Amino acid sequence: MNVTHDMSVWSLVTGASVLVQLVMAGLLLASVLSWYYIFIKVFTFKRAVKQTDSFEKGFWSGGDLDELFQRAVNSRGGAGTLERIFESGFREFTRMRKQPAQSIGAAMDSTRRAMRATYQREMESLESHLSFLASVASVSPYVGLFGTVWGIMNSFRELANVAQATLGTVAPGIAEALIATAMGLFAAIPAVVAYNRFAGDLNRLATRFDSFMEEFSNILQRQS
Amino acid sequence: MYAYATQVSQQEKVISGAFAFGMHLLFLALLIFGVTWQKKVEPQANVVDLWTNLPSQAQPKAEPPPPVVKPEVRPKVEPPPPVKTAAKPDIALKEKAEKERRLLEEKQKEAKKREVEAKAAQKQQQAKEAELQRQAKEQQDAQNKIAEQAAAARKSQMDKYRTAIREKIKRFIVLPPNMQGNPEAEFDVIQLPNGKVLDAKLKRSSGTPAYDNAVERAIRKAEPLPLPPDPALFARELNLTFRPQE
Repeated sequence: MNVTHDMSVWSLVTGASVLVQLVMAGLLLASVLSWYYIFIKVFTFKRAVKQTDSFEKGFWSGGDLDELFQRAVNSRGGAGTLERIFESGFREFTRMRKQPAQSIGAAMDSTRRAMRATYQREMESLESHLSFLASVASVSPYVGLFGTVWGIMNSFRELANVAQATLGTVAPGIAEALIATAMGLFAAIPAVVAYNRFAGDLNRLATRFDSFMEEFSNILQRQS
Repeated sequence: MYAYATQVSQQEKVISGAFAFGMHLLFLALLIFGVTWQKKVEPQANVVDLWTNLPSQAQPKAEPPPPVVKPEVRPKVEPPPPVKTAAKPDIALKEKAEKERRLLEEKQKEAKKREVEAKAAQKQQQAKEAELQRQAKEQQDAQNKIAEQAAAARKSQMDKYRTAIREKIKRFIVLPPNMQGNPEAEFDVIQLPNGKVLDAKLKRSSGTPAYDNAVERAIRKAEPLPLPPDPALFARELNLTFRPQE
């Protein structure tokens, strides 16, 4: 019995049963997609932080609010989240102030609502795909485990036909099955790390936006 | 242009896709070139010889026969017996008697001397013969010893060879499920010089046909049988015995 088990990764994948192969394909797809979203999110957050930084710098350096508003309107495409919040709030405020019947309290409420709406929209855009990463992070180990359990079940069923079960007859089947778990973990680990990282980033940005909205409301109220 | 400030541009999408793809290629390459899960199983089982003491490295040389010590043969010369002096009646007579006596004495002396010489020669001869016999015996012993050692070495080699064959066959024996007891099956195996099994004849059944069949299948499966390190030890016909529990 010249047993030279070819234990290369490729042979382990091709030797697995159809269902396990499907599981592996699904996990590979999940892994590719999650890495794709990880990179997209990295770019997005980097950009958002940069834009927020530059807008806050311009805002707090004591520029004219009208001027800032005009710049925000003109740079429609390239405006950052904070700039958009400011733009919608300021627009709503000036519109309300043009109506003499409105009290200052009503104008401030309306301004806040407008800013809140923009904030929500932007946050949703920032949050997009994070739930996908979370799903991959939590589900793919289970999917991989399912593939492994199925593969081991099969290898044990085949084992029943062998009178003398040695380690040599059991091992390849289990190795094949374990590949599925390995792939599940392979997909899950980066997704977990990225999700935690992005959730932290998102929280920080949200806090910055919130505090800006409060401070801006105060400024508007003082001006009127 | 964009509905949201954080909308992803086309360029970013392409770059992200490429990065994700590259990431997986990198991992795959690491997996394939970094990890070789190649497992080579040695077909030979380890056969362990247990020695109670280490065998002497070199074959003891036949000791050179000890230098022959020639026993000194000392011929014992007996002192001549005291001459008896007879009474002398007269001078003539005396002279005559004296003459005769001398003659006799001389004769006696001569006879004695001859006797002693003969004895000494005989003794020497005997010693020589004994010595020769001893040497011959020693040589014979040494030769016997060497032959014995060679035979023992040959036997141990042969035993090893047979053990290797039996070990290999035993690994292929699939015991029948309802095997009881530990009966012995004896097989005559005829093999070709390349280790191929020509024939495996059941010489003495174990009493359990299932076990006999299992052993016979194992013998055929164990092809090629291991070959001895020394081709001279190759045995075309082997008489092998197998027990279910060994």
